[in-house]
Amino acid sequence: MTELLQSPLFALPLNLCAFLLGVAIYRRSGTALLHPIVTASALVAAALWLLNISYRDYQAASGLLYALLGPAVVALAVPLKQNLPIIRRAGWPLAVTLAVGAVLAPVVAVVTALLLGAAEPVLLALAGKSITTPIALALAEKIHAAQSLTAGIVVFTGVVGAVCGPPLLERLNIRDHRVLGFALGINAHAVGTARALEISALCGAFAALAMGLCGALTAVVLPLLLVP
Amino acid sequence: MDSSRLRDIAQWLAGAAILLGCERLGRSVSETFSLPVPGAVLGMLLLLLGLMIYGGVPRGLAKVSEQLLRLLALLFLPAAVGVFYLRDLSLQDWLGLLAATVFGTLLSLTLCALLLARLLKNASTDGGAGSDD
Repeated sequence: MTELLQSPLFALPLNLCAFLLGVAIYRRSGTALLHPIVTASALVAAALWLLNISYRDYQAASGLLYALLGPAVVALAVPLKQNLPIIRRAGWPLAVTLAVGAVLAPVVAVVTALLLGAAEPVLLALAGKSITTPIALALAEKIHAAQSLTAGIVVFTGVVGAVCGPPLLERLNIRDHRVLGFALGINAHAVGTARALEISALCGAFAALAMGLCGALTAVVLPLLLVP
Repeated sequence: MDSSRLRDIAQWLAGAAILLGCERLGRSVSETFSLPVPGAVLGMLLLLLGLMIYGGVPRGLAKVSEQLLRLLALLFLPAAVGVFYLRDLSLQDWLGLLAATVFGTLLSLTLCALLLARLLKNASTDGGAGSDD
């Protein structure tokens, strides 16, 4: 029985059911706070706790989903290509914002945590908080940050950005989908991009562009700064 | 009827193969030259370059990508569940983390959006009507 519970045969349907349920709840509720990833992860955690399955076993059994993250990152090239003309027209403002945002996001986070007296492992894990999980995990390995902590921070950051970002910017009277998408992509990576794709294709394209470029930029620059 | 179905399936498979191939290629390039950039990101840039040269997006690739990106949240689920298993942190660590992720993220998100909105506005008034293209 435990063998079955620890196998992909159980873990994959569990993930899928939790995800579909999360999407259904999200659609019904209509509030951004119940983003599918929030409810789905809580459901999975509850199921693991009830059935006494360790996170490590569950993680190993969910290998297929991890394996698909790479191709999903590659697939981001498609919305980029489809929206290239619009992106090209807005060229240099995007480049400037990207450079500023890529520096700003980790610096603001690390300084905030430093002021509140967080320990070094936390600070290292925060450095990759705004970039997409596969890139952040690869980066964590390079700068010797804890992978599980990094993954948690990255997803939580994405949820915060995706949930609070759009209403916050609407309050500030920013309704340009290009701006919204780009800000989401830089600061809330794939969760933000998923949210942006729901808002509009244009918004999603800008989010995917920002996420891809910001991830690549951070992944190139940060190891150079932190690894002696 | 049947042959069009078969063609659809072939297009799907070709699309999936392109994605996997680009990821592999990106990964091996990253490993061979021991670049700090993760392989999947290189793969994405390679595919983008390829699509720009090709001048369009093959239908199968567009479909597979759309499905995959729609399921992005599902792909992240196992990593997200890890949030519930963070134990060995002090209260200060938690406070720092919470402030950095909530306050820090919203602050930099707002600043990015304001900066980009301002720059786009300036660019459109400076450049005049469509002089760029």
